[in-house]
Parts: sequence; structure tokens; C-alpha cells
Amino acid sequence: MSLGLYWNRVLTMGPNGRFPKVEMYFLPVMCQECSNPPCVQVCPTGASQQMPDGIVLIDKAKCIGCELCVKACPYGSRTLNPETKVVEKCTTCVQLRESGSDPACVINCPGRCRFFGDTSDPNSTVSVAIKKAGAENVHSLPDSGNHPSVKYILHPKNGVWRKP
Amino acid sequence: MERSIISRRDFLKATAITGVGAAVAVGAYEGLKKHKNKTGPSKGRTGTVRTCCRACIANCGVIATVKNGRVVKVQGDPEYPMTRGALCAKGLAGVQALYNPNRNKYPMKRAGARGEGKWMRISWDEALDTVAKKLMETRAKYGAETCFCSTGGGGNPEFWSISRFCNTFDTPNWFEPGCAQCYLPRTLANALMYGGADISIADSNCLEIYFPEVNPVKAYVLWGTDPSQSCPAGGGRAMVELRAKGVKTVVIDPRLTPDAAKADVWLPVRPGTDVALMLAWIKYIIDHKSYDREFVMKWTNLPFLVNTETKMFLRPQDIGAKGDPETTFVVWDKQSNSPKAMAYPWDNNLEPELEGTFPVNGVPCKTGFQMLKERVEPYTLEKAAKICWLDVASIEKALKLYIETQPSAMSLGVATDQTRLSVQAGMAAPTIEMLMGHVEKPGANLQRFKSSGAAPILTYIVNPAKKLLSEKQLNKRLGMLDHKGLLQWWAAHPPTVLQAILTGKPYKPRVWIDRSGNKFAVLGNSSAWLPAIDQMDMIVHMYMYPTSFSAYADILLPAKEWLETDMIVESINKVFVRQAVTHLWETMDETLFWSKLAKRCADMGHENCKKAFDPKVMGDDMVYWDTMEELLDKRVKPALHMSWEELKQKSPVEFCSFEEWDQHYVYKRDDPKTGKPQGFDTPSKKLEIYLESLITLGRTGKPYTTYPLPPASQDYDPLPYYVEPGESPVEGEIGKQFPLVMTNGRLPIFHHGTLRNIPWLREIYPAPEIWINPVSAKKYGVSHGDWVWVESARGKTQARAHLTEGIGPGVVYMERYWNPETLNTPTHGWREMNVNVLSKNDPPFNDVVGTYTLRGYQVRVFKADGPPKGVWLKPEQFKPWLPEQSDPTPEVKV
Repeated sequence: MSLGLYWNRVLTMGPNGRFPKVEMYFLPVMCQECSNPPCVQVCPTGASQQMPDGIVLIDKAKCIGCELCVKACPYGSRTLNPETKVVEKCTTCVQLRESGSDPACVINCPGRCRFFGDTSDPNSTVSVAIKKAGAENVHSLPDSGNHPSVKYILHPKNGVWRKP
Repeated sequence: MERSIISRRDFLKATAITGVGAAVAVGAYEGLKKHKNKTGPSKGRTGTVRTCCRACIANCGVIATVKNGRVVKVQGDPEYPMTRGALCAKGLAGVQALYNPNRNKYPMKRAGARGEGKWMRISWDEALDTVAKKLMETRAKYGAETCFCSTGGGGNPEFWSISRFCNTFDTPNWFEPGCAQCYLPRTLANALMYGGADISIADSNCLEIYFPEVNPVKAYVLWGTDPSQSCPAGGGRAMVELRAKGVKTVVIDPRLTPDAAKADVWLPVRPGTDVALMLAWIKYIIDHKSYDREFVMKWTNLPFLVNTETKMFLRPQDIGAKGDPETTFVVWDKQSNSPKAMAYPWDNNLEPELEGTFPVNGVPCKTGFQMLKERVEPYTLEKAAKICWLDVASIEKALKLYIETQPSAMSLGVATDQTRLSVQAGMAAPTIEMLMGHVEKPGANLQRFKSSGAAPILTYIVNPAKKLLSEKQLNKRLGMLDHKGLLQWWAAHPPTVLQAILTGKPYKPRVWIDRSGNKFAVLGNSSAWLPAIDQMDMIVHMYMYPTSFSAYADILLPAKEWLETDMIVESINKVFVRQAVTHLWETMDETLFWSKLAKRCADMGHENCKKAFDPKVMGDDMVYWDTMEELLDKRVKPALHMSWEELKQKSPVEFCSFEEWDQHYVYKRDDPKTGKPQGFDTPSKKLEIYLESLITLGRTGKPYTTYPLPPASQDYDPLPYYVEPGESPVEGEIGKQFPLVMTNGRLPIFHHGTLRNIPWLREIYPAPEIWINPVSAKKYGVSHGDWVWVESARGKTQARAHLTEGIGPGVVYMERYWNPETLNTPTHGWREMNVNVLSKNDPPFNDVVGTYTLRGYQVRVFKADGPPKGVWLKPEQFKPWLPEQSDPTPEVKV
């Protein structure tokens, strides 16, 4: 990872309200793995691709660093690496997953708040977590037709869901 | 192929940070001995190694991936019971710390003027001989007490090895910036009152929180502790799981920490006033009869009668009765309306009063309970709310949550340790838990779990060998006589050491050996130490990389990073290992360094040092070791019946089942020797809430002293009390000039003064923020993101304004900071943005342990023109610190 690049930013949402009646939560903003990804649509070289499992990856050999995808991404999840001149983003640790492991952020997360899996499989850890949370507590980042696949669980006890 | 064990570039980089003159560096480089290259890239090991982190004082389990002898990755160990596989950013930074290009790689001696930053490489033999010779000369000329050592809690592998060396050398003086400012106030109070585990999460206690599946706790009070930031993967994770299970929480903290944001009640207490709030909690619990009366009667010392003139408990002899004075006390018997001796554990023929004042031999005597009740009497919720800047309704809501949602539990963190009333808070919080009967029940924090005995000295393995320090020398310990609580950790008092250096009274310390990070970043009012530097005949600094303190040293010694060290790590019912995954350059484990130094001094004729190698003298205190394996075997073999080597292969080793480890109600167990219940580890075997032993400690040094000591100038108070902080916004004049109360506290990515040189961490938090409420920001003309000056009566420094509703209008927050990038400038990296330029190291100290004030002193904030000169703020600036992977080297043989 080059310095200054963040594949997995964590935003502090808040504190909202007036001291001492405030609420605050943390929002990790990684690539949202959209099912209709604008970054793939605008890529002139085919470097940005959607894999059969739905994950979006960048073929660095094909990337020409034009940054169209950076502009197209609604979430600011892509950055041009100034050293390699290609665009980078979270890969969901595809290399780890190929050997059956979860992504590094899931493995190491101290809060144990990250889950990774196939939402189309009702028995996957993500599906189970989403179901357990209840639909009213499951949120997504704003969707303008790109359909982000990342879901956020936030119970009202911990904060009011806000647009980042 | 033969090659130098370092490349020329490595060496230049190692020394460039302290500004080596090129000629000196090259000269030293030319003199390097050639070594056989035994570990070429193709020959090193490849695979995974199970070890444990030491980026902070926790020991989280880690799986390290090694490729061709080089560590390429670390991740959490799923088998480690306190983390269940989680690992925080500090641990994940281990690879960058290990291969940081600015590591101290070899022993070096100063080659220019002190502070000029010119260094020359020397051998370990020369380094040890030079230091030992200076120690011996100074001892002969001025006395061993003029040599002193210091350490710090910044992830050092073996805390007690410093104390052990000092006892061996027969100097009474070692200190650390923590101690009376971190954890000692709580360990002391807890040991005297109870004798089992204390209620600190970040010090690897409160162990039932790690098992939400079986822990019945329903409400939890986090008082001055933020596990989400102090131990994210361990206690932080555990609290997440408890909250997810539905456990209600109260967080008492001036700032909105992640734990506070998730709390059911957040009480943003004014820094330095926690004890007033604690006294109000005690009063509320007593007034509402919410305490566990049966437990308080039978298992605390509160029914015993206290002579109000002497403040000591009556003993059977005082009423002409007989009984063991340790465990037999006097109660007022309701039936006979007279004082009666009551032997441990209880006498069913008596009906003791819990409250009241009774005349005995013409002297008014009160029960301990009565004494406590009278002490807390003024502390209504209204009074506490006024003192602590809280509202009554919120305090009561928190209290009700704690009282009505049973079982509940409380933890006390480091916050109160850094205030004038450190020990009083350390007494008051357990008092609340004891009154509620939260002791050795499932879910309680006061517990005595089963241990393997492999790391028997407060989780460490090196015995301080107190007996080696002579009576004459013990009496010379700086600052101890008035602050005898320091005896528990066997430490000196830093401000008194400083005054001795500056004034020469009662004697002048001259040689300083430090094994820790940046003393200028962590000592209170650190500028005050600068004049002391000029007074020192020799300063030795041993650490993993140069810090501001190194700039003033005469000898620099390379310490191992945690990925290079070996240690026993006990966690719950298992023993894990920290094991060397690699070894680089000529780094040495400090646990070994002190042994080697003691050996040199012994060889130069130091009688006491010779004794430290004599099995007949040392006995259970162990003789010094020549290798780490020798030391580790001495602990592992008797506890686990295997060698260190075998433990490394088998780690983790379960020494008992979880159920056997998770033992409760130990106090109720029959003691086969007496046929009575075992009780608690106190002289009375009861919980000593009325802490008579604190009076005894002040008068004699018992139970920690090895020789009789003269009394402190004032008796210590056996009950917690409240006074305003030394600098107060509501008393005296200081608040007019410096209107804001400063507090500090952890960030999840740094531990104490460490890791400011890790690119991936620094880019997240390149400069310290000062949290300021928008109301005060407006008042002082400060906007979000502004560079500001922060000034106290002691100095000024800079920070970046962070406007937030997460802190009250009268309070600001700033965490410790220093700048490795400006080490080679006149600031030496500690003046630019360092909150400890502002903090207090002068009286009033805590009476019992001498705590100075790091939280709850007065500052003012005003706009600055821009950032300090030369500090790095942009991610790409940290590039020179990216890791340079190096091949392993053989262990140093000296």
C-alpha cells in the first residue's frame, strides 16, 4: 500500500447533537461492490471488471490511470496511486479468499463488526447477520441506480443513520 | 560468501536520524567486523509462527508469517482467548516497527558534544564495560544511590528487570513515568483492601468480560477507562460483545470515547473530580440501603470499632479480651450493649451493630461503616453535580442502572491515577463494588482465578529480588519516606529525583540508565528535566529506535522489538509464548542486558552483584541468567513440567480446564490449616474498606518494606476523601489566566509515546488534535482545523483544533505526542506538539504515592500562525520510515 491511499477509510459520524446529549458512530467506507458498478461502465480499457461472484476488481495491467472511474464512483472509494499511476481500491483480499480465508479487515477487526459473504446464500454469515439485525436496522450508502452491495447494521440505540 | 552484517546504507540510515557526521559514520563503518552470512534469502525459514504481541502492555495472540527468514505479515491468533483472533492497528504495525529503517542497530557511543547527534558504533563488550566502569567509579566516589535507572510501560518485555538490577547494584533509585501516575494507585489500594485481581481492564484483569457466553453481568460501569482505545482487540472487543448481548453501560469520562458513544449513560466528569462523584455514589448506596448488608456485615471490616482518637481499630486487648490481633476485632454487641471481641470469621452469639458511635474506655469509638458514612455525608448528588460539572438526573440514572440491574460490575481505568487523588479513587471504586457485594461472584471483577504460576510477579517472570537492597540504601530512596505507597512497586519518586539532581540535596544523582521510549514525551512538565541533563555524568539509553531522550545520551543501546523477543504469556487457562520470530542486527533483549551488566559489575568486584549470581544467596529469587532460555526454563519447568523449547512447540498449553480456572467464592472455601473459610488476602481476611493498613504503611512501610522505616510526615487517611485539584478552575486565581481544564487519554493507534515513527499509523493521525467544544472555540477565536498554541503555567506547545460536541465547554483534551522527524533539530522532537510540556510535576502530590497531575490542570488556547517548523503532516512525508526488510542475524554473544 502506498502512503496516502486508503482502501478502507473509517469515518467518524458525529458527534451529532449538543454536549452532552450527543450520538456518534463509525462508518467504514470501502468499495461498495455495486451490482451495477458505474466504474466498470466508464472504464475505457476494461481494466475495471466485475467478477462472476459480483466483486469488482481492477486489472492493473490494463489500467491507464485516466481516473474516469475515480470520478464515477459515488463513494470516493477509488484513488489513483501517484507512484504506479494506476487506480486502486479495496480488493476484498481476493488473494486471501482464494485460500478460504476472510478478508484481513474481517479477521483482525477488534470490534468484530465486519462480516463477509454471499448475500444470495441465506446461510452465509452476512445473510444471517442481516436477518438477525432486522430490516429496519440495515442501511446502505445512497443508491443512484448503482446498487451498492455493502450493508450497514445500525441500531437506533447506537445512532441515527446519516448520509456520509 | 562473506559480507558485512549490514549494508552501508543500513548503517547510514540508522545513524542519520540523530544526525551523524558523515566522517564519523564512515569511519565506524570501515571498522565493521565481517561476519559469515548464515541466513541468505533462500535459507531462512518460511511458514507461520505463533507468538504474542507487545506493542502495548497486553499480550494479544499473533500468527506471524515468515518468508525466507523475513516477517512479512502478522494477524490475530484465533486461539488467544482474550482476543479470539482480533488484532489492533498497533499489533498490525509490528512489521513496520521491526523493519523500521531507523532502528537502533548496534551499540553506539557519542562522538561529538552531547546533543550534537554524532555517534560511533562500538561493540557490546565495549558498551557494557564502559557503562559498568562508570557505574563502579561513581559508586566508589559518590555512592551507589547516585546511579539510577528508569523504564516505562511502553511495551517493555520485563518490567521488574530494572528494579532487580537496581537492588543488585544496591541503588534504591529507579522510576518510571507510569507507576504513581499509572496503575500503582489502583494496585496498592486493591492489594491492601482485597488481595486478588483488581478492576482494571487495560491491565488484563476483569477477565470474565471475555466470556459473554457465561458471564451473567447485566450492567457495567466503565469509570475513566476506554477499552475500545486502550486495548481494542481485547477489552474493547469484549465490551462490544457484552453490549451486543444487551449489557447496559455507564461511561464516566470527560470525552466522548467510542465506549461513551455506545453507553446508556455518559457522565462527562470534570477531570480531577472523580472522587467527589465516587463519594456521592457511596452515600447514595448507603442512604438507599442498596448495599449488600449481609455481605458487608460478614465479609468486610466495616462492623469493627475504630478508636476515633487513634483512627486504628480496637483490638481484643483494648477491652481486656483475648484473641489473635490480626484477625480478631471488636464489635458493639446489640444484645449486651457492650464491646465484644469477635474472632474470624464470625460469632453467631453476637449481634454486631453496623452503624453507630459507642464509648469504649471513655473514648468515642465508631464502626468502620459509621466512619465511612460520616465521610461521605456531605456528598449529595447535588454537591457532586456541582463539583463534577454534571447534572443530578444523569448521575442518578447511572446509579440506578448500576444498582437495579444486577449483577452489575465496575472497572476503573488509568484516568484517576493521573490526578492528585489517585489512591483515593483507587480505594473508592472498589469500596462501591464491595458495598454492593460484587466480590468473587460470577460476573464480578474482584476475583481470584487459578494461575499456572509460570509468570508469578504480576504477570511478569523476573523477581525484583528486594532482599539485595541494603537497609542503608533503602533509606536513601528519593521521595519514598513521605510517599510510602511507592514501596509496593519498590520505586523512587520522579519529581524528587529531579530535585535531587538540580539541588544536590540530599545527594546528587549522576548516572542515568534508561530503558524505555521518549522520557521527554511522557514525563510530566518534561522541560523541567532539561537542566538535569547537563548535570549527569553519563546517560545511557536503550530502546528499539532513537527518541528525543537519545539526543541527550552518551551511549545508545539497541533493544529488541517484540517480534524478536521471548516471554511467557499466560492468558485465562492457557500459557502462550512470545517467541523470537527473527533477530536483527545486534539488538538485545533488555531482560538479558541487565543480567550482563550485573555480571560486569560483579567481575569488577561489586559484592552485591556477586551475590546475585550465587544460588545459595538467591534461592527463590533466582540467580541471574546468561541466556533467555535459561531464565525461561526456570519458570516454565516447575509450572508446566516442560522446557521452554517444548512450550514453544506446543503453545498454547492448557494448564487447567476453563471451569477449573473460572473459580468463584474462593473466600468461602475451607482452609484445611485452620478449618475456617479461607477469606481474603488481607491481614484480617476481610475486605478492608476502612483501610487501617494505610496508616500502618505510612508509619512503618509495612507490609512492603524489607527494613523498618521512619514515619511519613503525615498519617495517610484510611478512607477516601475529596479535595480540589492543585490547579482548579473554581478555586484560586489560576482559572482566570488559564480557564480550560486539560485532560488526556488514549488513541487506539499509539501506546504511550510509541509508534509515532510508523508511516501507516502516522498518516492516520499526523499531529495531535486538541478537542475543544465549539462554545469555547468561539470564545477563544479558534476554528476547526486551526493550528493553535496551548499554554499552561509551565510552557506552551502546539496542536490542531478539533471542534467537537464530544467534550464540555470548560474542558480540552490532548494526547501525548512527539515528532521523530525533528529529532535532529534543536527541538529534538519533543517541544513542538507535546502535551507534557504543559502538565504538572510539582506539588500537591498524592499523599500516599506521590502522584503528580497529568489530568485536570489549567491551560489556555489561542490561534497560531501555522504548524510548527519541520513537522511532517502529509502521508508521503513518512516514506523514509517505510520498512526495509533485513535478513536475520545471530544473537549477540557477550
